[in-house]
Amino acid sequence: MKQNDSPRGDTLAWINGSDAPEKHILNLGFMPLTDSASLIVAATQGFSQPYGLTLNLRRQQSWSALRDGLLNGELDAAQGLYGLAYSIQLGLGSAPTPMAVLMGLNQNGQSINLSQAMLESGVNSSQALIAQAKHKSRKLCLAHTFPTGTHAMWLYYWLAAHGIHPLKDVDTRVVPPSLMVEHLRAGRIDGFCAGEPWGAHAIQSGMGFTLATSQSVWPDHPEKVLCATQRFVEQYPNTARALIMSILDASRFIEESEDNRCSTAQLISGADYVNAPLTSLQPRMLGNYVDGCDHDWHDAHPLRFHGNGEVNMPYLSDGLWFMTQFRRWGLLREDPDYFVVAKQVQQVDLYKQAANALGISLPTSMLRSSTLMDGKIWDGTNPTAYAHSFDLHAIADPRATRQAN
Amino acid sequence: MLRILLINDTVKKVGKLKQALLEAGFEVIDESGLTIDLPARVQSAKPDVILIDSDSPGRDVMEQVCLFSRDLPHPIALFTDEQDPGIMRQAIQSGVSAYIVEGVESSRLKAILDVAMVRFESDQKLRAELHAREQQLSERKRVEKAKGLLMKMKSCDESEAHTLMRRQAMSRQQKLVQVAEQIIAMHEMLGE
Repeated sequence: MKQNDSPRGDTLAWINGSDAPEKHILNLGFMPLTDSASLIVAATQGFSQPYGLTLNLRRQQSWSALRDGLLNGELDAAQGLYGLAYSIQLGLGSAPTPMAVLMGLNQNGQSINLSQAMLESGVNSSQALIAQAKHKSRKLCLAHTFPTGTHAMWLYYWLAAHGIHPLKDVDTRVVPPSLMVEHLRAGRIDGFCAGEPWGAHAIQSGMGFTLATSQSVWPDHPEKVLCATQRFVEQYPNTARALIMSILDASRFIEESEDNRCSTAQLISGADYVNAPLTSLQPRMLGNYVDGCDHDWHDAHPLRFHGNGEVNMPYLSDGLWFMTQFRRWGLLREDPDYFVVAKQVQQVDLYKQAANALGISLPTSMLRSSTLMDGKIWDGTNPTAYAHSFDLHAIADPRATRQAN
Repeated sequence: MLRILLINDTVKKVGKLKQALLEAGFEVIDESGLTIDLPARVQSAKPDVILIDSDSPGRDVMEQVCLFSRDLPHPIALFTDEQDPGIMRQAIQSGVSAYIVEGVESSRLKAILDVAMVRFESDQKLRAELHAREQQLSERKRVEKAKGLLMKMKSCDESEAHTLMRRQAMSRQQKLVQVAEQIIAMHEMLGE
């Protein structure tokens, strides 16, 4: 793999050489969310040109449509929920199709929010919510964005950590993020977990407040990824590498300065992209939170796109975690071959090549260790034991291990 | 007689299919509105087929309906390319997503998709044409040209010119290539 000191310096030689992309024009799917920023910047501000690619952004209306696009070839790659890539891989909600996670796009920046009605009835803290969930005659109804999505997992983890069983003690349902505020207004849901700018939007609409950020569940948690089908990566490996380099370059750009973060916020707020007011987007992008409940702070673990490469590595342990939680909540009936699957999906080698070409430092391990809100440590070792280690779960037959192929 | 639930929650107005489907001999339930309680509706209507705009955000709610139904007597699933690829192509071209209850033959879906395709095919064609046009632009050359012009106009180096263009593009929520076209057009208008 050729080393490039300056990506723009030797452009033509690079793209005409043996590493030249096999396919030059790519359709890139994304959802109107703050954490699609690196894709939007890469595609619109010329970051893919030095790597021989033209990126066409294709905004999607649902994760289902995004998934369909990847599977039928209309999309070459896309921003995906971490959980979406693995649910396709494992055949939850679609025929099982080998997937590839090319890189992490962001960490943090999602939120759990409750309705104004809840606030006005005195539910303004975790303790108050727990009391409500346990003693109220009406079951609370909480929304998230996709059955196997990251938001479902943060919501379930948060509830369970507080002793509330997410599948028994409350009703949970999928509501499209664009309709969350309407559902709050109509009293159909008592709260929701979704990506920004929807949390900030609910507060600004006077319809709710932020009870907990996703980073309070797991500081620097994995969130969205750049994903494609395995078939795409096998057919077009140079293209896949060039795509990673483009998005990596854009991710680095966004975090170079506060100025760059602000101009990114301005760009993505546009009607063709996230289509949300700058006032909903920018503050939380800069780590500044106002929760609608008289608290404001600068977060220690704000939304981040690069972190000098810490964010973008497709850690094996990140992919593994989602599989353990699918098992925990009964979405998977048996324990899969965790490491075999993760090693197939996480494109660690391709990512390393791309990072090296850009001079971006690599973490020393493909496993990273984190402490989650309930004190449990997740470091990627023994996923089967971890999946079965929770007090609250929905595992029907704990002895069913190893999914039959 | 097949029972079809039409989810009419987007501008495409899938509900327009109702008349044609009735004439084709299907039983049709038309559910309109933006905040339909989909799971409850599917449970009470007990349809054989559910049709919804492929662009509807409600598709993610349907995802949950399908997942929850897998242990029930009549699981529902998105109609996918496991079946006849010809029918699948037709489904995509119609811009309508079909969810089908287990046991209903996919061949019976063909007649339904024929109706959807006739109704919505032109919308899809327009979108395909738009995308095809887009792919012919050579952005890199336009950006390089504009950069060269800007460097002369402002007596600055390439890096400065690039930064200027990018700042402009981002603040106006435009693509870099759009700003490049503006610079080129301006230069042509003003002459040498």
